[in-house]
Amino acid sequence: MKINLDIPKNLQFRAFYMFFIMIGAIIGVDMIGSPGIIFIRAGHDSWISIILAYFYILLLIFTMLYILRQYENADILGIQTDLFGSFISKAIGIVYIVFFASQILATLLIYIEIIQAFIFPESNSFVLGFMLLSLIVYSLLGGLRVVIGVVFVFIVLSSWLLLLLIQPAMQMEFLNFLPIFDEGIPAILDGVQATAFTFTGIEVLFFLYPFVQDKDKIGKPLFWGFTSTAFFILLLTVISIGFLSAPQLERRIWVVLNLYKLQTTPIIERLDYIVVAEWMMVTVPRVILIMWCVIYILKRMYQIPKKYSVYGLAILLLCIIPFFDQHFEIQNLIESSRIVAIRLVYIYPFLLLPLVLFKKSRKNKEN
Amino acid sequence: MRRLKKHSSQSIFPTSIEKLKKKIESEFLKSEDVAFTVYQQESKKIVVFYIAFLVDQQKVEEMLLKPLLDMETPWTGQSILDEIPLGGGQTNSDTKNIIKGLNSGDVHLYVENEKHLITYQLAKSEKRALDKAETESIVIGPQLAFTESIASNLNVISWRLNTPDLAMEKFMIGKRNPKETRMIYLKSVANETDVNTMRQRLNELDLDMVEDIHMIKQYILDNSYSVFPQFVATELVDRAMYTIKEGKIIVLIEDSPLALIAPSTFFSFFESTEDRYFHWNLSSFIIGLRFLAAFVTLIMTPFYVAAITYHYELIPSQLLISVGESRAAVPFPPIIEVLILELVIELLREAGARLPSRVGQTIGIVGGVVVGTAAVQAGITSNVLVILVTFSALASFATPSYIMGNTIRFIRFPLIILSGFYGIIGLMFGVSFLVIHLLRLQSLGRSYLAPLYPLRLADFNKVFFRLPEQWQGRRFLSYQPKDKHSFPNKKAMERKDIGK
Repeated sequence: MKINLDIPKNLQFRAFYMFFIMIGAIIGVDMIGSPGIIFIRAGHDSWISIILAYFYILLLIFTMLYILRQYENADILGIQTDLFGSFISKAIGIVYIVFFASQILATLLIYIEIIQAFIFPESNSFVLGFMLLSLIVYSLLGGLRVVIGVVFVFIVLSSWLLLLLIQPAMQMEFLNFLPIFDEGIPAILDGVQATAFTFTGIEVLFFLYPFVQDKDKIGKPLFWGFTSTAFFILLLTVISIGFLSAPQLERRIWVVLNLYKLQTTPIIERLDYIVVAEWMMVTVPRVILIMWCVIYILKRMYQIPKKYSVYGLAILLLCIIPFFDQHFEIQNLIESSRIVAIRLVYIYPFLLLPLVLFKKSRKNKEN
Repeated sequence: MRRLKKHSSQSIFPTSIEKLKKKIESEFLKSEDVAFTVYQQESKKIVVFYIAFLVDQQKVEEMLLKPLLDMETPWTGQSILDEIPLGGGQTNSDTKNIIKGLNSGDVHLYVENEKHLITYQLAKSEKRALDKAETESIVIGPQLAFTESIASNLNVISWRLNTPDLAMEKFMIGKRNPKETRMIYLKSVANETDVNTMRQRLNELDLDMVEDIHMIKQYILDNSYSVFPQFVATELVDRAMYTIKEGKIIVLIEDSPLALIAPSTFFSFFESTEDRYFHWNLSSFIIGLRFLAAFVTLIMTPFYVAAITYHYELIPSQLLISVGESRAAVPFPPIIEVLILELVIELLREAGARLPSRVGQTIGIVGGVVVGTAAVQAGITSNVLVILVTFSALASFATPSYIMGNTIRFIRFPLIILSGFYGIIGLMFGVSFLVIHLLRLQSLGRSYLAPLYPLRLADFNKVFFRLPEQWQGRRFLSYQPKDKHSFPNKKAMERKDIGK
């Protein structure tokens, strides 16, 4: 496996799109439930957990960037090969594939579950999965140019959802946040861990980095992309805590949709239906990005052509989807995916850093 | 040596008039149309022959025959050429060339026993005069349209863009019936990759015959399976001029009154030349209105189907009462009802387009008003739906490009069916699919959704709204023209009057 990649110019994209890739890769459908999940752990101090998580992940992102910059134009697979050799690198690659596959599956399943709970109780998860996956396959077959285009355009098209948060924000009850630091440090740290599933997606940087055209400019879009994402999650959590009471937050699964529930307009009475439908444009970019990474790994490690891996993966996922029809099964999947994420996404890069620096210094000495 | 041999074997000259006539009649398919006239001067015989309907008869009589018969010097090939200095006079001895010339309106003269035959080009091609634009109607601004004659089109363009920078590359397309095709662009502005791509696509065309530019368009498309048109075809001269100035390429072909603009974006189908002639604020409003209309056309009836079939909670209770009342007597499910009514509207449009204009209007009124009212009274459709369908049909005609308007109306049908099956989720799936499809499309290798993706905020000013004209110094940057500015922005902003 080659360590450094030679990407033709027509496959590269401007660093500016990293802003949208960060948003698209992190914000998915789990956002709808995450304020409730964090609240259960950290109570009304959840916002502190999110801010702590933000600083930790910001450090992580720039560590990742620092690792990547030690090489000419390499992705994580090339770096692993350089450090551990081909065999271990491929093994970690398989861990990545399984982890990504569980992420895709979880994202699709949560969205299908929301549709079934809110709009069509009787609908078939196979058909819904088919619709979502056909969108994903269709964009993946267009190549990286289309993938990033879909991420960008879908985020732009769904950004109006933010406007609907104004009304619940106006009706917030600030007493819900008091007293601050009431829950205690362990609970807050527990809350930080609970954000782990929500913030996954940053790892796409490890795979997309070689495709960036102007690499010296990548810092700003990365920073702002992640900051605005974290701010959005913070906003959702704060509004949820302020708007709903503690028992409501603990009892309800999809907290964010409750925020949209009371909105009406003269033409459309229940906007939460529209929000659930519009959330397709939030879900799909995340799945597309992660699935692109899977296909990329397969192509780089095993030289599997894109066409086979896209269709194969889509059919595999489609066959698995109908088996997860209980809420607790999906929760189990999310929980195990979260545990892998903590190790693979949030700790692994920090372990990688000293190795990369060690290797580099040895190389320099040899020269 | 070899060439000479071949040449001499084909030549039948010198010969007698009778033999020549026989030769032509045996080899030429339209021989009954060839008019042979024999004249005599003392002992010398001369024959003049041509196809009557291909030449300008008046010119033949006044400028060729009259001086010929008045000639005082004896008739020889050289003396005739000297005495009658008509344009395009030349000698000819190849039978193939003679027959080809006959077909394109040449007049041949042959003095008996001469080595060569004399040919004059006195062709007359019937063409209509320059006229107002018919299909792209505008209220203000120049209305001059292209015609079927490429010569007059090139004339018009050359006079309007009178700069040595203007490149007009010539191609001959069609094996059996080669037609002159021109690729026109500004050499110092147009992107070289685009020009090369277009040149290569035109060169690679291996067709028998081409009827119209729309045929070429379909052969050089980037994606021929898409419903979306990928090149704008315009008949307005000023629009073609403007796009050339922006650094795009236009293609003209003989016998077609349309110019193909390449590359084109999705949004350029929503452009009208008037946008540039109105004030910026007014045209911004109109551009916004057009996009809104296209969106309404696409979404309105599918949304109705989704809401009435599955999600009546979406409709406010006040409105729900009137919708429910009007639908109470309707026996069909909403999707059938909508499909019937949409098909009727499409039928009306198609019938109106195919019939002569006076009958078409009558059909429109009869169909729209009478059938609509009767259908509601008979309880086949609800009157709310009639309003919605008519409104969305109306909105679809706000798209300046006829082809794009039809495309949008066509896409509505899959969306209606999807919303009939899966409600608002199906509708959302359809819209998402459409967006991905648009993202995948390309026009001449350039992104179809430019400047939205790849994002170029500087170009928004030309596509989604307009700023005052002194802000328009930049060309359309998404296509990476060689020369990025048409005038310096800063200088134009100063606006110094002499008096101050």
